[in-house]
Amino acid sequence: MNDGGRLSADLALASRCRAGSPGAFDELYRAHAPRLFGLACRLVGRVEAEDLLQDMFLTAHRKLGQYKGESSLGTWLFRLGTNLCLDHLRSRRGRFARMQDEIDDDTLVATSSGPVLGVIDRLDLERALTTLPPGARTVFVLHDVEGLEHREIAELLGVSEGTSKSQLHKARFRLRAALRPDAVRTE
Amino acid sequence: MTSDCTNVQRQLSDFADGLLDSGAHAAVLTHVRECADCSGVLTDLERLLATARQLGPIDPPDHVWLSVAGQLRAQSSAPLAVPAPRARGPVWWQWAALTAALLAITVALYVISRTRTTSTETAANANATAAPVTGSIAAVNDELTLAMQHYERAVAELEAAARAGDATLDPSVATTMRTSLTSIDQAIAESRAALLTNPDSEPARDSLFEALRRKISVLQTTVNLINDRRQGDPAGASRPASGVGRQS
Repeated sequence: MNDGGRLSADLALASRCRAGSPGAFDELYRAHAPRLFGLACRLVGRVEAEDLLQDMFLTAHRKLGQYKGESSLGTWLFRLGTNLCLDHLRSRRGRFARMQDEIDDDTLVATSSGPVLGVIDRLDLERALTTLPPGARTVFVLHDVEGLEHREIAELLGVSEGTSKSQLHKARFRLRAALRPDAVRTE
Repeated sequence: MTSDCTNVQRQLSDFADGLLDSGAHAAVLTHVRECADCSGVLTDLERLLATARQLGPIDPPDHVWLSVAGQLRAQSSAPLAVPAPRARGPVWWQWAALTAALLAITVALYVISRTRTTSTETAANANATAAPVTGSIAAVNDELTLAMQHYERAVAELEAAARAGDATLDPSVATTMRTSLTSIDQAIAESRAALLTNPDSEPARDSLFEALRRKISVLQTTVNLINDRRQGDPAGASRPASGVGRQS
């Protein structure tokens, strides 16, 4: 389906959801919940992700009237979901003041010779993600997992593109350190 | 490792993303070809990025949709506020059963939090003797067991209500509810077993807490669906059926 056709289909689905058509919101949920749940799990953790996913779809249901088809429904929902996750992280950061985005510089320069990582297990990477500070984790997930550009990330986070690039650099080097075979074994 | 390496490694992330201008790109490339350290780092970054791209969507558990659908239905029916004729008999004890379940959960969570407090205090006091703590944990486990038995009875009553006569839910919904509850029960059992082995395990307590919360959520949705049905909205009771239990 081309972009025009997809947007028309998205507008029709949004319209059916607003009208309360049986199965319409179910269809919306079915199509988009897994991506949003993956995003939330990686940004805030699995337990809180379930509550956030509920919030995302309840908010989406309430705001569907604002969807005018400028972008795909998936993009609209992703933006809405990301903002809810970021709001959640901001509120949590207030409660856990020590969760700072400071990363020691010694993790940013490698000293070992040759590659230290073999084939990276996805579960190991998911686990290593949880060790990142929220800011670096958010940028890594949005850029390297979800494929957003620094410009889009900067807009979502309200930071400069340079900050987004810097956080991504920190996240990658921190993950490299966390995924070293000796680091994984000792966890 | 040279000062060049430090400078190059600071640019490797942008290099891997193709964000450097042609001059900087060529400089990094030249260095990487001659430097095993930086070449190794670049290889690692490329492996990391390849794996990150493979992290895909995650299917949410069914009870999330059940909860969303239940809340949307409650919102859509709220403005009507028509005093629909309520079925006599079974409805009140469904709510009583849910209330009992919630009460039991409250007790269980109180017990859990008390266990946690005990553990914290114990850790803080290195001179404390082991015997009172062991006794306290045993008592806590007894209370937890009693609460869970009470809770399971209430759940059984709710399930019986769901199966009874005209009040039966849409079969596909009922099946999915049971599947969800079975899965949650398994999580509860595993968490309890872990707690018996290691009463101080915070992950096990957190897991038990979460499983209990999920079970309550599913039960609340079940009761809502039952009451929709009893209040003359059979469509409401079957509405979530198409979205329940699917694997996206």
